[in-house]
Amino acid sequence: MFWKLLDDLNFIARCRKYNLGLWQCPNFLFLVMSIVTVIAMLVTNSIANRYNSEAITIFGVSGVTALIMTVGTFVIRGVEKIAEANIMKSEFISIISHQLCTPLSAVKWNLEILEAEGDGKLSEKQKIFFGNVKKSNEKMLKLVGDLLEVIRIDQGKTIFNIKDTDLVPLAEEVIEDLGYLTNSKNVEIIKKFDADLPPARVDAKKMKIVMENLISNAVKYSRDGGRVEVKLYPQKRKILFIIQDWGVGIPRYQHSRIFEKFFRSDNKSRYRTEGVGLGLYLVRAILEYFNGEIWFESEADKGSTFYVSLPAA
Amino acid sequence: MNNLPKKKILIIEDDRALQNALVEIMEQTGYEVACAFDGEEGLQKLAAGEPDLILLDIVLPGKDGYEVLEAIKKNDGTKNIPVLILTNLEEIDNVQRALDLGATTFMVKSDFSLKDVVEKIKESLK
Repeated sequence: MFWKLLDDLNFIARCRKYNLGLWQCPNFLFLVMSIVTVIAMLVTNSIANRYNSEAITIFGVSGVTALIMTVGTFVIRGVEKIAEANIMKSEFISIISHQLCTPLSAVKWNLEILEAEGDGKLSEKQKIFFGNVKKSNEKMLKLVGDLLEVIRIDQGKTIFNIKDTDLVPLAEEVIEDLGYLTNSKNVEIIKKFDADLPPARVDAKKMKIVMENLISNAVKYSRDGGRVEVKLYPQKRKILFIIQDWGVGIPRYQHSRIFEKFFRSDNKSRYRTEGVGLGLYLVRAILEYFNGEIWFESEADKGSTFYVSLPAA
Repeated sequence: MNNLPKKKILIIEDDRALQNALVEIMEQTGYEVACAFDGEEGLQKLAAGEPDLILLDIVLPGKDGYEVLEAIKKNDGTKNIPVLILTNLEEIDNVQRALDLGATTFMVKSDFSLKDVVEKIKESLK
């Protein structure tokens, strides 16, 4: 706690981190402003005591107010600069992502044509390489798609089409799409779906993103040859979606951070898992729109269980 | 089926690789295809050809997709032709704007396979 406070006060390091000059850096300017305010009060007080004249006091107070306002302007400029940088960053990512989408879509569609043309004519070896290209392209599309989704949600520009949705076929579809991942890690997915599951009030496309991220995380952080359980069952007027793995788990000290944007747990490099740290951030942001909830239990080296509760129709 | 005249589709799309794949699948499905690479050319081809359906991209050089859509819907001769938007812009304001201007449907390229696009076209031509 104390060290964190001290770290916050180390404005030179902070400003360097923000890539801002000292006089544009809010942390520094707030400090200056508080010092100015304190000195100003002391000076005003002593002037008022010594001269006992209204005119001088008023003059003093006006002067001090002007000074504070000047410093205040600097502070506002500093904050504005950060806000602008933030907008620029979002716009930049958005433009780049859109630019990436076109060639990626082109690859996808042209592969679709090629696949139909080559049907029955490809050798086993050719099929493997063709499959590699297709999978890589799909991975890239998903990555760019998630990135764009995060930006859209952050900017409130995403479209939510909430309808009664059957989650079982959706989960089946997601698990099938993740076949390349489960096969390559030899992870078995055990499905436990309630036969009388009522539909959920969600947007099917966004719900797929939620399922995809949670299930693929469970598979990615499982050990080779492990298993992952995916459950769907009703509970009161909610639907529970539970994903459990017995993989690397999340160390306790990082529990509070896993839903942060771009956060990646320490165990990522140990298991060389891919990802940029957007999945869980996106999942939670989407669930908020559904009035859903997410929580988890996890222990390092023992595995994780993620619970999602969704409103039933 | 073979006796019926082929349905004509006008594709307005500036990316050649996407355009090629679209043309191929449309021809395989049995449509007659005309292509344009920008908005201006699209409107010229529209005047020359009277297509049964238009596939329209939003981000185009010169006149963008919205302007083209507006021009199509303002002209009494063309306003009833279904216009299917095919783009990678997925923000709510883009979708809303296109639908307000009279687009039949809105498809996001990276989400749709060619098969899905063909399905949508068939639906709109019914």
